[in-house]
Amino acid sequence: MIKTVQLSKVYRTDEVETTALNSVDIEIKAGEFVSVMGPSGCGKSTLMNVLGMIDNPSAGEYFFNEQEVGKLSERKRADVRKNNLGFVFQSFNLIDELTVYENVELPMLYTKVPAGERKKRVEELLEGMNIMHRKNHFPQQLSGGQQQRVAVARAVVNKPKLILADEPTGNLDSANGDEVMKILADLNASGTTILMVTHSQYCAEFGNRIIRMLDGKVVTENVVKRYL
Amino acid sequence: MQFKFIFRSMLKNKVFSGINILGLTVGIAAVLLIYRVVSYELSFNKNFKNYDSLVRVVGESVDDGTGQGYSVCIPVPAGEVLRTNITQFDKKSRVKETWNSLTVPNPGGGTPLKKFNTTNDVTAFFADPDFCEMLDFQWVSGDAAASLAEPNTIVLTRDWATKFFGKWEDAVGKTLLIDNIYPVTVKGVFEEMPVNCDFNFPFVISYSTLKGKEDYFYLGDNDWDSCSSNNQVYAQLSDPTQLAAADAAVRRVGEKEYVSKKTGQRMKTHYLQPISELHFNENFNNSGTHIVPKSRLKLLSAIGLLILALACFNFINLATAQASLRAKEVGVRKTLGSGRGQLIGQFMSETGVIVAISLLLGVGIANLASPLLSFVSEVPRSLPFLSNPTVWAFLALTGVVVTALAGLYPSLTLAGFQPVKALRSNAEKSLTGGAGLRKSLVVLQFVIAQCLIIGAIITILQLDYIRSQDLGFKKDLVYTFGFGSDSLSMLRQSALRQTLAKVPTVESVSFSSDQPSSTNTWSSDFRFANRPETEPFATTLKFADENYQATYSIKMLAGRWLAASDTMREAIINKTMLKKLGLNDPNEAVDQVFHLWGSRELRIVGVTDDFHTHSLRHEHMPLTLTNDKKFLWQAGVKIRPDNLPSTLAAIQAAFDEVMPEQVFEGQFLDEEIAKFYEDDRRLAATCKGFGLLAVFISCLGLFGLATHAASQRVKEIGVRKVLGASTTGIIGLLSKDFLTLVVLSLVIASPLAYWLMDKWLQDFEFHTKIHWWVFVLTGVLALVVAFATVSYQSVKAALANPVKSLRSE
Repeated sequence: MIKTVQLSKVYRTDEVETTALNSVDIEIKAGEFVSVMGPSGCGKSTLMNVLGMIDNPSAGEYFFNEQEVGKLSERKRADVRKNNLGFVFQSFNLIDELTVYENVELPMLYTKVPAGERKKRVEELLEGMNIMHRKNHFPQQLSGGQQQRVAVARAVVNKPKLILADEPTGNLDSANGDEVMKILADLNASGTTILMVTHSQYCAEFGNRIIRMLDGKVVTENVVKRYL
Repeated sequence: MQFKFIFRSMLKNKVFSGINILGLTVGIAAVLLIYRVVSYELSFNKNFKNYDSLVRVVGESVDDGTGQGYSVCIPVPAGEVLRTNITQFDKKSRVKETWNSLTVPNPGGGTPLKKFNTTNDVTAFFADPDFCEMLDFQWVSGDAAASLAEPNTIVLTRDWATKFFGKWEDAVGKTLLIDNIYPVTVKGVFEEMPVNCDFNFPFVISYSTLKGKEDYFYLGDNDWDSCSSNNQVYAQLSDPTQLAAADAAVRRVGEKEYVSKKTGQRMKTHYLQPISELHFNENFNNSGTHIVPKSRLKLLSAIGLLILALACFNFINLATAQASLRAKEVGVRKTLGSGRGQLIGQFMSETGVIVAISLLLGVGIANLASPLLSFVSEVPRSLPFLSNPTVWAFLALTGVVVTALAGLYPSLTLAGFQPVKALRSNAEKSLTGGAGLRKSLVVLQFVIAQCLIIGAIITILQLDYIRSQDLGFKKDLVYTFGFGSDSLSMLRQSALRQTLAKVPTVESVSFSSDQPSSTNTWSSDFRFANRPETEPFATTLKFADENYQATYSIKMLAGRWLAASDTMREAIINKTMLKKLGLNDPNEAVDQVFHLWGSRELRIVGVTDDFHTHSLRHEHMPLTLTNDKKFLWQAGVKIRPDNLPSTLAAIQAAFDEVMPEQVFEGQFLDEEIAKFYEDDRRLAATCKGFGLLAVFISCLGLFGLATHAASQRVKEIGVRKVLGASTTGIIGLLSKDFLTLVVLSLVIASPLAYWLMDKWLQDFEFHTKIHWWVFVLTGVLALVVAFATVSYQSVKAALANPVKSLRSE
């Protein structure tokens, strides 16, 4: 599903040039749950942004479903993004002025899903996430765990092929964190590819592969072994 | 969902939404009120079916030294030539403006049964039959075609017919008396003329009635040299495209007659004034209540647009200052697949909703505030406004323009955020751009506001200057009124004088053609002493009796005032005339002969100091005063200040006793003179009113920006306080940035306002100076208001507990 060849990202200011990604080659197959780990500033989030097509690479190639997307225009990237990707952020990034229901419905407005279908999907997801009773509440009226569940619901409502999760449990206590990780694992089990950035070894091991980064480079890739 | 979202967002940002809505509401209300004035004035005369074909013949003379080169007057023989020789005229009418009384005669003789007078604001006409057709008279009774064909016939408006006869249906065939002397038969009744036209006559008398009546100055059939501005000619072209050809033909009228025998130069040329210019060209009088130069309408429109622009600037400033707070939302929406166009659409709809709310509120406020329009315009209060469909079209257009103006830039800025930057935790700081634009707009707002305030102060100073100016005569406690100029009234002049003199509080009574200062100009060529040629400049003429000097306290430089006389025998000249004649000593002029109108020889008996014969816009003109009973129709009564109401009542009683058929309308001379400056008073009120609005809107924006700045600098203030900054230091820190902008705007506004107001003052021959303190005062006022506006937020921020602010950061 994802293949990068010598992918680089350099940030330039007047005086400083920072290499956030340095010739990264990775491959992620459909159905995988890949965790990206590494210390702060190692380029994890930049990798996530570039793979999520909300940022352009400075050099190298990025193939998404065998299509080179690294050099697409903003408009085309938006098209690919809305039809294929779902995002979960550490800080949830729910829109404060929209209710739970409306936040989850929002991506479907951009993909022009008919109203009846939208209602059905939102309600199904909210039921599944056990927050249906909170559907008319605003984000600031929810607990962190509830907010992240809404964010996950929003990420999956358009049935994306890939979910990009940036520290999804970073702002949650362990119980809520666990709950979110289980939801992600279930989604993966049902066929959704997941790429997750995390600082937590515990969360990383919910995936089946861990990529470790340092100074913008991939240093190791390990398959997660599960002992039953 | 979109609307719900917009309302929630507005509720969340109550202060900023409030500032935007309040500012836009005030701006929109101001624009609507101005639209009401401008559209009313621009609609004048447009309801005539033949608007494009109607013209008036006007004239321009070689400047004769009185500054009165333009005139609407048409000599009687020229009127006849125009009426018969211009083939492009389909319909034509000579008219004479007139201000008579009409009475219902008493069959038993004596006091008439009913009497009504035309007032200064209402002008009646003598006119030819075509006049009714040209101006689309809507007949309700009578024989329209024949109405004005015969001499001694009159047509009345429905209101006036009702006033005279109880029921307008009874009017036709009845007899009325003009000035209680000349009988006229009512031939027709027509609807009142629309309020937005320059013809508000209550009646029209057939032009042929005038012939031979000296009382009404029917000037000679062959006299090309004399004319009165009341004598005019209107015409309707056979086709609007004939205007140029008709104009060329009109310009040929008087080719021989207007040529000076002395110089061979043509002294006067007639040409056509389309009726579309009647309401706007100040060079020529019209018969309506007022003339508005288009420049004034443009100024008013510009002020309206500027006020609205100020409110839009607030919107832009607050939206861009707050853009960073919406960064996360933009980032999320873009990440979820929203395109830039969709986001622009969303932000524009948000602006649209705010503008729509402001429009509704603005309409309400404009409606409530419409009585205030009387301070700045002539728009009648009764005029329907919101029922007019063009108002709604204007509102819709305003809505679109304001939405675009206020919303486009912030929308483009917001929608341009890159999601990767917008979703960063420090996005609020990194995305707060546009500070330069905001500062520029604040400066622009205060430049506009301060220009208006400086304009208001200077116009008020000029009006004060006018009020305090020595006019060269005393205008206080002189009560004036008019009386008939007909032969019967002339006979009763001495009776009126004697009756008035009996009132114990009356000090003196003077009759004249007009008061020392008036809007009338009567000018004539003349020859001085034994000089062989007519002087190369004309003199302004006033006719006055022997009491004129005492009544108005006019200062003499030499000789004495006019002796009592019924006919023209003596003359008084003024200082300017003396200078123009090349004389230095006033005594040199005394006893010289003054040749007027060819055959009249007057002896100069005195020289007066200059007094203002017109408004202070005009320079002093050469003036001649002489006495002739025939031309006395204005009374000036100098009274003592004690018990004014009973004095005024006694003056009216004296008038009613001597001239029972005439209608008394008195006013104080100072009030009459104040009317010369009505237009200037309106300009002052416009600058004052809209200047205050501009300050208000600008301060609203400043308050919003100060609120935003204070919230952005919470951490900085906390750190500074921890490090020992004082409260006043913090207040100074937060206020300094804004006050610097206000000072900068004063630096820009001062020369601009100076230039504009200096230009305006040049219109006045006598005017105040532009004092330096006007600019200082404006600057201090602006600074105080601006400081008061931002200080609330500054003080609040400065007094906040730094521990709290640092913790919250």
